[in-house]
Amino acid sequence: MSESKLVARDVRMAFGGVVALDRAGVEVHPGRVSGLIGRNGSGKSTLFNCLTGFLKPTAGTIELDGRDITGHAPHEVMRAGIARTFQTPRIDFQTTAREAVLCGLFPRVRHGFLSSLLGLPHALAEERAMQREADAVVERMRMDDWAALQVNKLSMGRVRSVEVARAIAADARYLLLDEPAAGIGRDEMRVLADEIRSLAERGIGVLLVEHNFSLIRMLCEDVTVLDTGAVIFKGTPDEARRDERVMQLYLGTAAAGEAA
Amino acid sequence: MSLFGSRPNTWIMAGVGALACAVAPLNPVWLDSVILTGILALISLSAGLSFGQAGILSMAQGAFAAIGAYATAVCSTRFGLPAWAGLALAIALPSALAWGLARMVTRMPELAVALATLALATLLEIVARNWDAVTGGYVGIAGIPPVEGFSVGWRFNILVWVFVLLAVLAYENLMRSAHGRALNIVRHDRTRAMADGIAVAPLLSAMLATSGAMAGAGGWLYAHYITYMSPGSLDTHASISALLMAVVGGAGYILGPVLGTFLLNLLGKLLPAQEAQGLFYGGALILILLVAPAGLLGWLQALADRRTARRARATSNAAAPAAPAGPAAQAGREADNPARAAEPAR
Repeated sequence: MSESKLVARDVRMAFGGVVALDRAGVEVHPGRVSGLIGRNGSGKSTLFNCLTGFLKPTAGTIELDGRDITGHAPHEVMRAGIARTFQTPRIDFQTTAREAVLCGLFPRVRHGFLSSLLGLPHALAEERAMQREADAVVERMRMDDWAALQVNKLSMGRVRSVEVARAIAADARYLLLDEPAAGIGRDEMRVLADEIRSLAERGIGVLLVEHNFSLIRMLCEDVTVLDTGAVIFKGTPDEARRDERVMQLYLGTAAAGEAA
Repeated sequence: MSLFGSRPNTWIMAGVGALACAVAPLNPVWLDSVILTGILALISLSAGLSFGQAGILSMAQGAFAAIGAYATAVCSTRFGLPAWAGLALAIALPSALAWGLARMVTRMPELAVALATLALATLLEIVARNWDAVTGGYVGIAGIPPVEGFSVGWRFNILVWVFVLLAVLAYENLMRSAHGRALNIVRHDRTRAMADGIAVAPLLSAMLATSGAMAGAGGWLYAHYITYMSPGSLDTHASISALLMAVVGGAGYILGPVLGTFLLNLLGKLLPAQEAQGLFYGGALILILLVAPAGLLGWLQALADRRTARRARATSNAAAPAAPAGPAAQAGREADNPARAAEPAR
């Protein structure tokens, strides 16, 4: 059971009497972009939070490359190689884009708190290496031109890029994006789509939780549709478009996506 | 940056400390004030670290100092141990307590943390008042010997400021490291911190243990300077003043607490009556919160930033039509703004 993939299997999540997820599941494969869609309240975000350790499922398992990571703390999940972004960017708008990327490198830190405090040579050496690495990430993500600017001076699309760069800075193998297209324009969405595609080409497994069906169609090889906490469809985006139930659920949103 | 190398705050502190050590001995009253200012600055630095950098509003910094003071007082008066042996305990005990305390309180919201730490401090004060066998109860412990080799005022003054300097050095090291950045992320947004792979509870425990160690060292200095320790010596009032001094100077800035302590403690001495001190402190706090919520250093930096931005605009208008505002403004700020040196490395 050592095939590389991130799997949520038969996840059930109940908040008191409210069942948000019931036997829901999704798979993310390295080098592939998968989609997870559903209406508001369908349980997408809950499943997302179960995958990233922010919620502990009531039942079911989360497996990373065959290893059970159900109920691990978020920072442990992150260190195991699963990065996430937030729908509303959670970022200190006073810092520069480069500093934000630098913050994403924290899992690389090998020295202890005391070494930092005493300014020991190996801690300082590691800090210099991290600074260089941040520059490398900035270059790789083509952020050079504006990395020195404060985040509050950037457009929403660039803030999303910063979030992605921060998330994958520490060599994440899986990247979970929570509605990355929310609040950005069409041109910026295309840039973001290119970015996501190139991440997948580098072998990162991407899960896209989205409302925006056109972004899903642009990027995803497969898509999972959730409704009222259960999976109602699994297949390619094109098949999803032909599926009657999915279209019924999605009529408003999908029609808008078609028009776009 | 280039002038002061990578640790500008430490160099500024070294300069200020040297000045304090050189000037204070000229007048015995000054010397006493400067020594107490140094001790309070150390406790205030501990409050700045926890509140300014990590957002943990601890009302127990005075209690940590009191534990350090009692530890060394008991060691030296009851067991006749040298003061330096007491220092180890004075640092280790509050540090351990703070570590455990952080484990308990870091899940609470900010205000609850303040109340929980206040409750702990009150509890410790009650213990100090009633545990006659160890703390001497209400009477306290008198006759604490001075530190060997530092019994003369001006020498002790140097010792105090060396401690402050070491604390600033460690603080600055921390804030220039990934752990310091992580603390700032935790203050800003804990969910973000978790998504960055930061183990929040252990990080805050380490931070508060450091903060407790600083306060404990302050208590050690206090006990050996005053030579007397009682439950009223480093009480909740001391915790609040430490926090107040940090906020007035600029809790988010490494040297903010030191500046705040200088201002409030030395200026407070100029007031005619001790009773007026509360009035003065309260007034200063209200004024700062209204005019400069980021403290005096924050206010200075905002002024300097505005000046630089104006100058950058003027230059770009006069010279190249497409001058890049960002990097140019930043370079200018680095070069001609001394206040920036006091900015925390984040």
